Amino acid sequence: MASDYNADVVIVGTGVVGCLIAEQALEAGLSVLMLEAGPRVDRWRIVENFRNLPPSLRLFHWNAPYPATPWAPHLETRTAKEQEQYLQLEGPNARAYLQGYVRYAGGATWHWAGICWRLTPEDMRLKSLYGVGRDWPFSHDVIEPYYTRAEYAIGVSGPSDPTLQWPPNAKRSKPYPMGPIPFGPGEHRFTEAAARIGMINLPAPQARNSGVSYGGRPPCCGNNNCFPVCPIAAKYDAATALPKIEAKGGKILANAVVYRIETGEKNSIEAVHFFDPDKRSHRVTAKLFVIACNGIETPKLLLLSKDERNPNGVANSSDQVGRNMMDQPKLTAELELQEPLWTGVGPVQSSSILNTTQGEFRSRYAGAMFRMENFARSPLGAAAALKKGLVGRALDVEIRRLSACTARLTVEHEILPSTNNRLTLSSQKDWLGINKPNIHYDVGDYVRQSAKEYTVPRLQQLAAELGATKFQLSPEFLNSDHIMGGCVMGAEPATAVVDADCRAHDHPNLFLPGGGAMPSATASNSTLTMTALALKAADAITNQLRHG
Amino acid sequence: MLDQYRDDCPTAFNLARRDVLLGGLLIGGIAALPTLAAIAAPTSWSDHSAARFMEISSLLVPHHLKEEIGKRMGAAMAALNPSLSQQIDELLSIARQKNARIVEDFFADVPDGPLKETALSIISAWYLGVVTNAPDAEVFAYEYALMYQPTRDVMTIPSYAISAPNRWTAEAPPLSNMPEF
Repeated sequence: MASDYNADVVIVGTGVVGCLIAEQALEAGLSVLMLEAGPRVDRWRIVENFRNLPPSLRLFHWNAPYPATPWAPHLETRTAKEQEQYLQLEGPNARAYLQGYVRYAGGATWHWAGICWRLTPEDMRLKSLYGVGRDWPFSHDVIEPYYTRAEYAIGVSGPSDPTLQWPPNAKRSKPYPMGPIPFGPGEHRFTEAAARIGMINLPAPQARNSGVSYGGRPPCCGNNNCFPVCPIAAKYDAATALPKIEAKGGKILANAVVYRIETGEKNSIEAVHFFDPDKRSHRVTAKLFVIACNGIETPKLLLLSKDERNPNGVANSSDQVGRNMMDQPKLTAELELQEPLWTGVGPVQSSSILNTTQGEFRSRYAGAMFRMENFARSPLGAAAALKKGLVGRALDVEIRRLSACTARLTVEHEILPSTNNRLTLSSQKDWLGINKPNIHYDVGDYVRQSAKEYTVPRLQQLAAELGATKFQLSPEFLNSDHIMGGCVMGAEPATAVVDADCRAHDHPNLFLPGGGAMPSATASNSTLTMTALALKAADAITNQLRHG
Repeated sequence: MLDQYRDDCPTAFNLARRDVLLGGLLIGGIAALPTLAAIAAPTSWSDHSAARFMEISSLLVPHHLKEEIGKRMGAAMAALNPSLSQQIDELLSIARQKNARIVEDFFADVPDGPLKETALSIISAWYLGVVTNAPDAEVFAYEYALMYQPTRDVMTIPSYAISAPNRWTAEAPPLSNMPEF
C-alpha cells in the first residue's frame, strides 16, 4: 500500500514525552516525523486568549484559552453543557476524571504546573512492601539516572540542600541544574505553619528557570501564570522544544489526527493513518512507532485500531489497555484567615508537603500530598467583595482583606490501579466520526478511607495552624490532571501492556511511553517520571534501530 | 495546511478565543471585530452620553479611570440596558443634591432597586473589566481592571512580571497599607 509520509521513527503526540524521544532519536541520526492532532499556535495568541477571558474563567478553567478545533476536541469547561461534550464519564467518581489536557502542538505542557517530583523507592514497590497495587518491573536505582537526565533535559530548578530534596532516602547522581525559586510570603508562612505540626513543606523542584536562562528559555520573572500559560516561556513547555526538533531535522505535522494503527506480518506495526482537517486520510510508514498522545488518547487509539490479529485492539492481548486509569483524587479546602497569608508571589505552585505520602499506613489507606495554591487571589477577593454590595473605601479594604486573608489548600491522594477504572470507546462520535473516550471511575475505598481517617483531619489541623476562621471542603473528589495507568507496565505480557522500556509486549516496533505506563500513581505530580520513562524508551528505541 | 506554519487553522476555525465565541456572527474573522462593537452600541449613545458615564463613574469609583476604557464600556452597558442614560441622569442628580465628591457622600441616598443595581454594575465593571462576568463577555480592561489595584504592592497581576528574576521575597507590608491608585 502506498504511503504519504515515511520516517525511521514516527511519533504520535508532541507533548514532553514525544519531544524528548524525538530529540534523542534525531541525535542518534534517525529521521523523525511527529504527528499532532491539534493545531500549532504561538504563545502570544494563547496569552491574548487568556487576558480576553472574563475573570470568572481565568481561574480553574485552564482549558479556556485553548479553544479546541473540531477535529481534535478536548475537554472545554466554559459552560456546563460544553463540559459534557468530549469526555464521557461515568461511575461513582466521574467528576474526578474530568481531565484537562490540550490537543495542541506542545500538548498539556502548555498548562502544566512544571512540578518535577521524583518517586521514592517505596513508591515503586507497593505490592512487595504494603500488599497493595502493583510493583514496577525495575527498581529506583534503574530510574535514577533517567530522572537526572530528565531534569537536565527540561531544565529543573531545585534545592541543593539534601534535607530539602525528595526523596529523602535515595541518592541523586547529580545536583539540580539550577537552584531553587524563592518563596513568596504565602509559601513562607504556610511552610512555618505546617512545620509546627510535623508537615514538611519542601520547595518544589520545577521545570522553571531560576535566576538564569536555560535551554533557550528566560529566567522566571514571577508572572504567576504557569497555568494556563507561562507568558515568557520560563517554564518548560513542549512548544519551546518544537523549534529545536525542527532545527535538528525533525518534521512536525500539525492537524494530523491519527485514527488507526495498522499491523502487518509478525504483528509488527506497518503504518498509522491520520485524517487532515478536510477529512482526507493519509498513511504514514516507519520502522518504529511511538504513541505518546496522552494517557487518554493513547489507549483510545489502541482500542480504535482493533483488527483480525488484534481483536481487542492493538497491544491489547492482555486486555489491560484502557484499564487501571489513575490520577490523584483531589480535595480542596477554601479558608478564610485571621491574618494575611499573601499568595500570588512567584509561581502558582512552588512547594508541597510530601512526608505525608509515605508510611506503613499505605497497607490500609492512601498517602497524600498537601499544598497551598499560590495563585494571586485578587480576582476572587474582588468578586466576593463586590458581591457584598460594598463601595468606595470599604470595597477596596475588603478586596485587600479577602485577597490576602484567604487560601485554598489542596490534598492529592494516591490511588491504586483497578481494572474496573476503565477507558472504553463511547458510542458517541466526534466531528471526524471517531469514538469519544468513555471512562468509568471510582476512587476506591483506599482513597475514601484515607480522606476520612487521615487527610481531611490533617487538612483541618493545617487550617487551624494557619488561623482559619472558615473551612470549606470540596463536596467531592476532583481531578488533578495526572493521567496514568491505561497502558500499564509489567514484566508479564499476560498482565501488562508494555515492558520495562515501554515497548508493547505484543508489537516489537511499538512504544507507548508516558503516564499510561506507570504501574503506581503515587500522590505526587507524574511528569518527571513520564519524562524519565521517555528517555529510557528513547535509549531502547535507538539501540533497537541501530542494532536491529 | 498540513505543514509547520503557526496559527495554521483554516480561517473558519480561527483560534482567537473571541472569534470562536462569536463564530456564527463573523464572516471576515478578526478584521470584523471593530465593526461589531459599533453595531452593538445604540445610536443614542453619543459623546455626551460617554462624558456623563465618565462623570458618574468618577463619583462612584474614587480612583483614576481611563477614558478610553469608559467610552467602550459605557457603550456596551447601554446596549444591554436601554435605561442607562436616564439612570445616569438620576444618579448624577442625587449626587448633586448631596454636593457629593466621593461615593460615600451620596450612595446611601440611592434607592434600592434598578437604580442601585445600575450604580453597582458600573462599579463592578470598572473593577472586573467586564460588563457581564459570563463566558462570552467582552473584556474591556485587563491590567487596568481595578480589582488588581488594592493588592498591587504584593500580588502579581497574573501574566505580568512582578519584579525581576528571583527578586521577589517573603516580605509583605501590613494589610492596612492601602496602595494609592
